[in-house]
This record gives sequence, C-alpha cells and structure tokens, in this order.
Amino acid sequence: MSGKTAQVLNVLSSVGVAGKDRSADRDVVYVYEMPVRVWHWVNAAAIMVLAITGCFIGTAVPTMPGEASDNFFFGYIRFAHFSAGYVLAVGFLLRIYCAMMGNPHAKQIFYVPIWRRCFWDELWQTIRWYALLAVRSDKCAGHNPAAQLMMFSMFTLTTAFMIVTGFALYAQGSGQESWQFGLFGWIFGVLPNSQDVHTLHHLGLWVIVTFVLIHVYAAIREDIMSRRSISAIISGERDLRD
Amino acid sequence: MRVQTPNGFTTDNSGKRIVVDPLTRIEGHLRVEVNLDADNVICNAVSSGTMWRGIETILRGRDPRDAWAFTERICGVCTGTHALTSVRAVENALGITIPENANSIRNIMQLCLQVHDHLVHFYHLHALDWVDVFSALKADPKATSRLAQSVSPWPRSSPGYFKDLQIRLTKFFDSGQLGPFKNAYWGHPAYKLSPEANLMAVTHYSEALDFQKEIVKIHAVYGGKNPHPNWLVGGVPCAINVDGNGAIGAINMERLNLVSSIIDRSIEFVEQVYLPDIELIGSFYRGWLYGCGLSGRSVMSYGDVPENANDYSTKSLRVPRGVILNGNLREVLPVDHGDPDQIQEFVAHSWYKYPDEFRGLHPWDGITEPNFELGANFKGTRTDIKELDEGGKYSWIKAPRWRGNAVEVGPLARYIIGYAQDKAEFKEPAERLLKALKLPVTALFSTLGRTAARALECQWAAHQMRHFQDKLVAHIKAGDTATADVSKWNPESWPMEAKGYGFTEAPRGALGHWIKIKDRKIDNYQCVVPTTWNGSPRDPKGNIGAFEASLIGTPMADPGKPLEILRTIHSFDPCLACSTHVMSPDGQELASVTVR
Amino acid sequence: MGEATETFYSVIRRQGITRRNFLKFCSLTAASLGLSPLAANDIAIALETKPRVPVIWMHGLECTCCSESFIRSAHPLVKDAVLSMISLDYDDTIMAAAGHQAEAILTETRAKYKDRYVLAIEGNPPLNEDGMFCIDGGKPFVEKLRSMAEDSMTIIAWGSCASWGCVQAARPNPTQAMPIDKVITNKPIIKVPGCPPIAEVMTAIVTFITTFGKLPELDRQGRPKMFYSQRIHDKCYRRSHFDAGQFVEEWDDESARKGYCLYKMGCKGPTTYNACSAVRWNGGVSFPIQSGHGCFGCSEDGFWDKGSFYDRLTTIKQFGIEANADQIGRAAAGAVGLAVAAHAAVTAAKRLTRKREGVVQEKRSKVQS
Repeated sequence: MSGKTAQVLNVLSSVGVAGKDRSADRDVVYVYEMPVRVWHWVNAAAIMVLAITGCFIGTAVPTMPGEASDNFFFGYIRFAHFSAGYVLAVGFLLRIYCAMMGNPHAKQIFYVPIWRRCFWDELWQTIRWYALLAVRSDKCAGHNPAAQLMMFSMFTLTTAFMIVTGFALYAQGSGQESWQFGLFGWIFGVLPNSQDVHTLHHLGLWVIVTFVLIHVYAAIREDIMSRRSISAIISGERDLRD
Repeated sequence: MRVQTPNGFTTDNSGKRIVVDPLTRIEGHLRVEVNLDADNVICNAVSSGTMWRGIETILRGRDPRDAWAFTERICGVCTGTHALTSVRAVENALGITIPENANSIRNIMQLCLQVHDHLVHFYHLHALDWVDVFSALKADPKATSRLAQSVSPWPRSSPGYFKDLQIRLTKFFDSGQLGPFKNAYWGHPAYKLSPEANLMAVTHYSEALDFQKEIVKIHAVYGGKNPHPNWLVGGVPCAINVDGNGAIGAINMERLNLVSSIIDRSIEFVEQVYLPDIELIGSFYRGWLYGCGLSGRSVMSYGDVPENANDYSTKSLRVPRGVILNGNLREVLPVDHGDPDQIQEFVAHSWYKYPDEFRGLHPWDGITEPNFELGANFKGTRTDIKELDEGGKYSWIKAPRWRGNAVEVGPLARYIIGYAQDKAEFKEPAERLLKALKLPVTALFSTLGRTAARALECQWAAHQMRHFQDKLVAHIKAGDTATADVSKWNPESWPMEAKGYGFTEAPRGALGHWIKIKDRKIDNYQCVVPTTWNGSPRDPKGNIGAFEASLIGTPMADPGKPLEILRTIHSFDPCLACSTHVMSPDGQELASVTVR
Repeated sequence: MGEATETFYSVIRRQGITRRNFLKFCSLTAASLGLSPLAANDIAIALETKPRVPVIWMHGLECTCCSESFIRSAHPLVKDAVLSMISLDYDDTIMAAAGHQAEAILTETRAKYKDRYVLAIEGNPPLNEDGMFCIDGGKPFVEKLRSMAEDSMTIIAWGSCASWGCVQAARPNPTQAMPIDKVITNKPIIKVPGCPPIAEVMTAIVTFITTFGKLPELDRQGRPKMFYSQRIHDKCYRRSHFDAGQFVEEWDDESARKGYCLYKMGCKGPTTYNACSAVRWNGGVSFPIQSGHGCFGCSEDGFWDKGSFYDRLTTIKQFGIEANADQIGRAAAGAVGLAVAAHAAVTAAKRLTRKREGVVQEKRSKVQS
C-alpha cells in the first residue's frame, strides 16, 4: 500500500464514511454508495431512452399507415420521453440529496475545486496521463480531476439545463396554469421564441451524447488499465492496489 | 424658376409652396409638395417617399425558398403579389416548373387580390376624394332610391334602406366624435355630387366594407389566410383531393364551391355596385379631366396571368404586355427583364449612393446604399423638414426608367396598352363606358380615367377568376390533381450559381423581382415595384415621374385644403412600403448605416 | 337615453338584442367581474351614454397588413366598431383628412383626451439615421410616437412589427427598427403579435377594453392571455395525425392530400402562441395548416431569423457557421468518437510495447537479484 493511499484512507475514515474493515484489509475504498450506484444505472437508462426518443421527436418518424385514431406511435414516443424525463429529474433531485447526506465522493460531480492548488496540479498530472506522457496517474478514490471537471461541466450542468428547458417545453403542453410553467416558465422570459428553447434543448442532447462517449471510453479504458472503474460502479468498491 | 423637362413638362417652383404630409389614405408614408401660380394652378410638384425598410438587404444569405414570405411583407395591401413575383423569380432562376393546377390557383389568387384591392382602393381610399359624406345627410332617401334603381338592379336600394343609413350617419355626426371623417374637406367646392349621389356612394362605402372581407376568403381557402396567404416555390401548398380518403383535409368539393360562390358574388357586386357607381360619379365629374401626366405619353405593363403554366410569353399572358412611348399608340414595344439596357434605376435625387450617379443600374446589379442628404435649398432642419429641395436628393424612392424614359404603370397603363393592341376584352368595355359618359377616348388620360380603368379591370379580373376556377375544375375532372413539383425542392439539386427574374402585374402596376443565387443562398435581390415607377423622383436628366407629372396644371379651389392633390395622387393607389426598398451591392457593407 | 349618439347600446339594439337581454348582459358582466348587482346598473348607464373611446392609430415602418386585417373583422363588423364602439380619430390609412388637418387631430386629441385615448401602433420606429428612415410630417416617426404615447391611456402594439420588430428588424436590421416596448417604457403596452394578427382577435381586444373598461390580462411577454396562452399545436385539427405519427413527407404527396401533420415540413405550430387553429382566419374559413402550408410562427419573436421556414430543426447561426442542432451534434460526437478511437489505439499500442519492456525489465531485475 502506497503512502498516498493510506493518507486517503485516513482522511476517509476520519470523516467516517469509508471506514469499512474489509476495504481497509484489501486496499479497497468504498466509493460509490448503494443509492449512487442505483441512481447511476437508472439515470443511464433514462438518458438512453431520452436520447433515442429525443432524436425521433426532433426529426419525426416515417408515416404510419391507417387511421389516425388507430395509431398513437408518435404519442408513445413522446410519452416515453416525458416519462424518462421525469425519472431523470427525480433521480437528479435524489442525487443531490445523496450528495448532501452521502460520502465526499457523492459530492464530486456537483463542484470543481478550482480554488485548490492541488486540484490544478493533479489535473495537470491527469492530463499528462491521458495524453500518454506520464506513466501512471495518481490513484484517485473517486473521480480524477479531469473526470470531475468533465462530470461537472458536461454532465451536471447540462443535465440541469436539460431538466429546466425540458420542463419548460413540457409546460407548453400542460399550459400556463401548470406547476411546470410556474416553476420553469421563466425560461420563456429569457428566450421569448420557444423555438430557441427547442433548439438549445436539442443541442443539449448532443452534449450529453458526447459526454456518454467520453465517459464510457474513459471508464472502459480505466478498467482495462487498472481494473477499478466499471467494477466500482457495480460494487461500489474501488481497488487501489497496483 | 421655369424648367422644361426632357419628357415634355414645364415646372416652375417660384410660386406659393403647399406641403401635404402625411398624405393619408395610402399605404405607407408619402409627402407631396407643390407650387401654385397666381391662379392657384399647380405649376411644380415634388413627391417624396418618406420611409425605407431594407427588406432586400435582409434577404441576403437566406434560403431562396423563403424569399416569398419576406417580400410578401413588403406590402400588406397588395398582399400576395410580391410573394407570387418572388416564387416566379426563384423558379425562373432554378428552372423549376409548376403544374397546370398550381398555375390556375395562383392566377385565381392574384386575380382575387386584384378584385379586392381595386374595390377597397376605390371605396375606402379614394371615394372620399369625390364623395362628400356630410352632404349625404341632406339627401332625400326616396330620391336616392330612385337614383339607385335607375342605374343598377342591385336589390339593396329601398328608401328605407337609405334612410336607415342616413339616420345612423346623422347620429354619428351628431355625437361630435367624427372618427375617420374628422377635419376633412366637407363642403369643398371641388365636390360635385348631388346629396343623393353622395348618400348612395356612402351607403356603398359601407356595403363594400362588409363585402371586401368575403372576397379574400378565396385566399384563405388556397393560401390559409389573408392578409399574407402562403405560397410555395414549385407550385401551391394546398393539395387537391376531391373524392378520396381524407379529402376533408384538402381542396375538396366544399372548398371549390366556397370559392365558386365568392367568385359569383364578386362579379355581381362589381357589376351592380362598383361599375354603376363609377359611371354615376364620372357623370358628375365629366368636366374635371385633370391629372393626365404621363398616361397620355409613356406607359408600361409587364403582362400577367399566364393562361398556360410556365409560359410567360406575350401570347400566353392574359394581361397586356409592352411599352408605349411618347403617345405613339401605334407601336407597342416589347419588354425584356433580362436586358441590362432596358430597366434601370437612378438615384440622383434619391437618398441613396451610386458610384456614378448619372448612370442607371439594371436590378441584377442594383446597389442601394442609403445616403440621407438634403438639397442645399431645403427649409427646416435635418429632422424637421419644412420644405424639400427637389434640386438635391429628396425621396426614399429610386427613379426607375425604361430605356431612359419615365413611364406610368397601373390599370390605366394596362388598358391603354390593351386598347392599342386592339384587344377586345379591354377595348370594348372602355369604349362602352366612355360612350355612356359622352367622353372622347382621350378622356381616359386623366385622374378619372385611372379610376375608371381600375373599375373596368376589377370586372375583368372577377370574370377571369371564374375562367381559371372552371379550368381548375376541368383539370381535376380529367384526373389531374397535381399542385406542386418537388423535383427541385431540395437545394442539393440546384446549380451553385443562378440568376432569374419574376414579374406580375400588381393592382398598382408592373412589379418585378430580380434574384441572384449563389451557394444555394440569396446573393442579391432587387424589387422594382409599381409605386417606384409612378412615385419616382426626378432622374439625372430631369425627367419627372408619373405622380409629379399628373399634378401639373391642376387648379386648386382652396389651397388650404388639398383635395385635388389627394384625388389625383390617390388615383394611382400609391403603395409606399413597396416602393422604398434597398439592396446593397455584392458583399458591400452598408457603410452609412451605423447604430446611434 | 343614448338615442342622439351612437353608443354600444344602440349597436346591440340594432343587432336585435332586446333591452331586457341587454340588462341581463350587464348584470352577467357585473357578476363575472366580481361586482355587486348594483354595479350592473352602472355598466348599463355607461354603455348607453359613455362617449366612444378615442383611438389614435399610427403607422411606422410596416406593410399595413394589420390595418387590412382589422377591416376583415366579421364580428363585430369593422364598420360597427368604427362607427359605434370606438372613435377612430386618426388613422392615416383610412382617414379623410390629410396634411396639417390630419396633424391637427393629434394635437387636439392630446389636449382634449389626456390619459383617456388609446394609442394603437402599427409598425415600428427605426432609430438609425436620426429616425429619418421613417419620416412623418417632415419629422422622424419616433418623435411623433413618443409625443403621442406620453398622454395616452394605453398602447396597443399591433402585429409583430410593433410587438417584436418583424421583418425590417430581421438580421441585419439595417434601419435599427425597434419594437414599441424598447422605445416607450412608461406605459402599459398590449402586444398583439402576428403578421398580421387575426381580424377578430384585433377587434376583440379593442372591444374588450371598451366593453369591460379595463385592460386584458397579459402573459409574461405582454400578450393578452385570452388569445395567446396556447399554441397553434394545442388546438390544431391535425394534432391526431401528429400523435399517430402520420406526416406529410413531401409537398403534394399522398399524406398531404389526406391532410396529415406538417411537422416534417417545418411547421412551427408546436412553438407558436396564437389563436389561428381555434379562431381561424377570414371568418373561420381556414388557417395556414388547413390549407396545406405549415405555420411559420409569424406571431413569435424573431421568427424571421430561425433558419428556413421549411426546416424542422432551426438553424443556429453562431461564429460564422450555420447549422442545425443535429448537424452540430453529429459533428461534435463524431469528432469525439474519432478522438476516442485514436486515443484507444494509441493506448493499446503503448500498453503493448510497455508490456514487452516490462517483461524484459522483470527478467533483468531477476537476473540482478
């Protein structure tokens, strides 16, 4: 066990969140708590549904045969989109709750510690590691600094934006008396022509898709390189041995 | 100072100057200034378009398929005619053809506009120059009824009917709130109608106001709404389905019947109300034949309403086409929109800048760079103009010329050309009307002639609507229901560079659009519109335009009340939003436009 | 009572409504406004005797389509509105007077009806060139607008020009045409957008003010809720085809002839707040979608600058590029995908070489030890 890991573990045990015996024995940190793991996979599924249905909503489907009253195909696509949207939004709220109540790792995606000098040092090292210039990155229990930066900017902020614009667009259908309009209708004060909101919402979809690409690649790569990424989001534990 | 203009008019700006601004009951903003001699006869006229919107600058870089919507917004009065001209220009540039049914529907829409616009123009923008509303209060309803029944079989002509309207009008005037009739020229000596004729005309003012909204339902059927119906490059957007599954969502029998019944009612209204009114009013004003201006010398029409789809030859066009110069009715010259030497615009007296202001530019190469600069002798300040100086720049309208000649356009021009070409459908009704009024043919060249030609054309257009509606039905009967050709809808199918033009005869006259397309976007767009021709300021050679020419020589009964000026200017049906436009040269920025 | 002058009462009496029904209407009005039954009497007296509200209708940079639309009103007929419901004292498009006789009406109205006249604006003022892109009476239109706004009770911004700027304010807005609320900031402004607005919507808003003596309730963007709180899409009769997934794919195709949804042809009904699909146009005859062309959102802010009217996904114009969200997204995702693949390849290659080196090193160290 390297000195750094011990340090990390010390810090973790001192705040009393990762102080599990078995992990201490096996150089393993308990990073992702159960609710976070469940959220991750539910969220991933919701995004999958949202992205696919979102693309269809943007460009529409081939024309269905038969009478209009016999079909509700596009309606179901939109229904799926809205349902998944609700799952994503509720999940996001729960995730914020987890961040408040859970371990420090659970907070990571909600901020970037730009005020810390060590964050920048580590970010630099990580970039070198990803650029294949450094041999080994510093081991991180949670997200490495580059990942944290990306998580925050591409995932957390975009998701928040998608939830706000999504509900605002939903309010177009549910009407100006709906709670969705009450909470999110202000967006139309910023962008008076709702076509713009549609366009930006659609652009947001592509930011998320791009994020997913990078995220999945980085996770698989990390898993191959160090066997501690994918397993971590399944079991919650991250093996920090070399 | 007395000046002889090259096109044969004498102007003298030494006498008393009268300014009319705003000139109301037109579309947009117009200012007219005249000089009067000692006998209160107009001896100099200056017309100035006082607005500029820059639609063509805005069009640059946009999808040519969208251009119709932008240009349609040039004018909401002649709504649709710019859109039609625009889709024709784009189709001409890209070699797109349209199905026969689309041609019929477009013609019906264009003719519908013609009928509507002429009717509204006469009753609601022009009639009050001839009709004294106040005098109608003194009319005897029974005598009015007799008068009405003597000139027309129109059923709404009982004494009670006229009396009801008179009572309502009396109450309105008694209320002290005169609304649109406030501060007008009631009792002016230039009003000639008898009280009964006035009452009848005012009644028809009100009836026409009710009826005009029916005519445009044709636009609503084929174009979805009016004002500003929808058009489509390659055809028309409405699909035809008369006998199949889902016909309810397309042009079906009910829709065709609706259009058909409106056409019938329009013909009836025009023939039983509008034309008899013109004849009656004309009989009172037989002695007031001022306002000839350019009409007796140089007139032009592009022609319109193609009988066959995609065929814009003189033979196919139902509206006469050609140019008459210097009163030579024996020769009708051909027009070519693509010839750089024919149609040119000048800006020597317009608030624009050219590299060489003595030369004109063909619309394909048009430049429109605003340059708001007043002549040395103007009175007032830059933002509070008292009197313009026609020696310098004085209008937002350019000066278009055909081979250097100022020409008049509009219904009268079309009738003169049709007359010169010996076309019976134009010649005979004109002669009939002249005969009824006991006037010679030369009486056509006047303010009254312009107003009468508009009414005759309204009747002609209403019958043409019937023709094309029947043709549409015949085609559907024969199994042809196509309304759009989409083979070149996709921009990928277009050449990288193309240019073209489109033209129509708008209610106010010859309208042309010129387009250049580059990389599938609009590179240059120019409109030369009827009021640009008629309302044009002087050109570098000093030729005066149709508005200015028509005012010269008209006596004014009361210089403080410019009724005669209104009468003659209104007879052109000016449309200022149309006439004042802009285009900047290829790639050149509008240097003088800065945000202040 | 009210016989000498044209009042609201005389109009509705002429339309065949009995006095009994008129009084009933007054008490219903009072009730719906939450007033006491006594107020019904006040309303009746007001409608019978009150002078018509003066309306000053001015034109800036515009195309007059709003005026044209206004005169298309079927209920009330525009002649009834003008003769009996309002007093249209100034409107350059239809008024009989011209020149200084016309200008005099403005001065008189300002003095006589201070804070009691409605100012209706069609079009908008350009600010470039000292406002001289629109000259009225020798002066910039914007000056006239400011002075008439000062003493008005309220302002009605007719159409998209006055509400948002419309076509002359589309990129690059060479005249700096400004919507009314950017120039007049101290008066209530009712925006009635549309190019033009529906005739009956226009007359309804005017008569709402004169009938109920109050301004209509406005939404966040200043439009009357009664006509602008729902989208074309919400009331579209082709909505069932949208939900079913039945779309027009091409102009004049089988689907177009069956009246399917125009979503794929770029219809902006889903983002356009207006009453077209419910009130319809020209006395209820049709509206754009019913006649086969998609809505292009003419009552929305800046609808001219959202790319082609026939695009489903509107164009984003930024940093000199012009593309829609899908094109940008695909390009970004594609670029990232390529980068990922390249990165993966390089990583794999490096790993392989390092493994070999690692084996060699291990052997060496074993030998050394």
